[in-house]
Amino acid sequence: MADVHIKGVSKSFGETVAVDNLDLQIKDGEFVVLLGPTGAGKTTTLRLVAGLERPDSGTIHIAGRDATVLSPAERDTAFVFQQYSLYPHLSVFDNLAFPLRSPARKLSEDAVRRRVEEVARLVRIHHKLDNRSTKLSGGEMQRVAIGRALVRKPSIYLMDEPLSSLDAKLRADLRLELKRIQSELGATMLYVTHDQIEAMTMADRIGILSEGELVQIGTPRAIYSEPANLHVAARLGQPAINLLPAGLLPDGGAPTGTRTIGARTEHLSIEKAANGHGDGVVDWVEHLGDQNHLHVTVGPKKLVTLTDPDTPLERGDLVTIRYRMPLYFGSDGQRLT
Amino acid sequence: MLNRTADNVARATPEPLARRVRGISDKGLAWLFISPTILLLLAINIFPLFWAIYLSFTNFRANRPNEVVKNLGLANYKRILTDQDIWIAMQTTAHFVFWTILLQTVIGFTLAWLIDRKFRGHAFWTTIILVPMMLSPAVVGNFWRFLYEPQIGLFSYVISFVTGIPPTNVQMLSNVDLAPWSIIIVDTWMWTPYVMLICLAGLRSIPEYIYEAAEVDRASNWRQFWSITLPMALPFIMLAVLFRGIENFKMFDMVNLLTGGGPGSTTEVASITLKRQAFESWRTGYSSAFAIILFVAVFGLANIYVKALNKVKQR
Repeated sequence: MADVHIKGVSKSFGETVAVDNLDLQIKDGEFVVLLGPTGAGKTTTLRLVAGLERPDSGTIHIAGRDATVLSPAERDTAFVFQQYSLYPHLSVFDNLAFPLRSPARKLSEDAVRRRVEEVARLVRIHHKLDNRSTKLSGGEMQRVAIGRALVRKPSIYLMDEPLSSLDAKLRADLRLELKRIQSELGATMLYVTHDQIEAMTMADRIGILSEGELVQIGTPRAIYSEPANLHVAARLGQPAINLLPAGLLPDGGAPTGTRTIGARTEHLSIEKAANGHGDGVVDWVEHLGDQNHLHVTVGPKKLVTLTDPDTPLERGDLVTIRYRMPLYFGSDGQRLT
Repeated sequence: MLNRTADNVARATPEPLARRVRGISDKGLAWLFISPTILLLLAINIFPLFWAIYLSFTNFRANRPNEVVKNLGLANYKRILTDQDIWIAMQTTAHFVFWTILLQTVIGFTLAWLIDRKFRGHAFWTTIILVPMMLSPAVVGNFWRFLYEPQIGLFSYVISFVTGIPPTNVQMLSNVDLAPWSIIIVDTWMWTPYVMLICLAGLRSIPEYIYEAAEVDRASNWRQFWSITLPMALPFIMLAVLFRGIENFKMFDMVNLLTGGGPGSTTEVASITLKRQAFESWRTGYSSAFAIILFVAVFGLANIYVKALNKVKQR
């Protein structure tokens, strides 16, 4: 394992700037998740670290060594692709053994077998070692793909939305397993996703990417409760943060220059209006089983919050809405404190 | 109102044709449509096949239709399978099939692999390479006869230029040792593009990310070729071999145009023997038996091969 230092890296494809002057330092044993929408430059960042792309400018250091112009093989990274990139004509065992059988390694077949079995148990695929890789289910294929990365002890694990093509249940299972494996191995990991739950649950630090730029990086808690700007605030929280213009509701503590107020569920107190004079009207209550979404119209805006399963509120009720220490954003979209 | 509209629509819709042509069911109509094809197929394919099977048991001669036809049982087959000349023709065919397939597969795959590098102008070169395949075999045969011409042929000239042997001594078509190779060269020239095309389809079907995964897994280019490119393109290569194998087993046109089986019988492949027996010696029954034997042989070999191919594909 090793630390990775990306310094001022840019990469364009024709006219499109995929990564723009990116600075990112990943410490040894750290789990960093890059979060952003499609086209934000997440995958390109991973490919740059792996050496599958060459940066237009900037440098990439792996374990203190300048790796900017090294080939993928020389960098010694492990990559899990979004597609199940298994070698289709090989068995599960041979797929897992593939990186170990590199002539650069010179491992005995005995050592290979031991290592493969160890990893197969780790990703819980050991009962299917003799299967053809094409005869596996989607979840099993992705386990093999992850296992193939894990058999090696590379400088860094790079994972490109490895769970995105799996169903919800499996995704939740593998999410936990990945985190467990990572902390057991003390692995350095750079993980890319557009799923905020994956980012929040697994990351030591989350980096928010937008249009090739790293907007903010910090612990999940910091990113969630102290977003740098509107973009970051909008990426996290379920239901999404409500962005209301200043002055729509009474906002006593707002700093000067506040243009927009961001309010998640925990920033709002909503009660039935006492005297028939409310701030908003309940549109409907959405029962999702484990949680209820409350949809309220406030003037020209609609807002959505979580509410108790046994909420007395009903469609058409007038409600009083108050902020509880919400997030304030200025006219440039930056958060004000 | 709504009802009347519905009625009008119903009336305007044409009744199914089957119901109007009384007494013909949909199925009957379907048969009616395909019957011309079926009749044609029966007349020029199926009937001759069975007729040939029948003739193969007789001493029938097409140039003496009035002679009494005698049933010989399996005598024709026995004679063919014990005939030394027939075995030589079969050997010539096998030799020819082996070398054309080997050369075409190796060269075709190499070309496909190079084209797949997607260098500048690869589309242009693909088109150029495909030209021979698009020509008519008759044209190719005649045109290579000129190229092989010892006096004026370009091929002989080039060979003599490179080796220093006088061009009149480079008798590609009339030299006993060179004649088989002259045909192998022409067939390879003409059909390598076909093999290349199939191999190229195979190479293009290998997703890029497999190579990227291998690169990150520190596999050398050599290892990537042996453990990814070749195994994943193998079903396609085998398919090309199958097509070329069947085709070359019954190779006739090129041989007939270039050497006509000569000099002597050095290039007399099975199909040439067949033609000589059937239309020069007029031994119709005998040659029918030979044709049946060839058919069974190709069919049997192709079947075994397809089984192997399916096994490879299922991996």
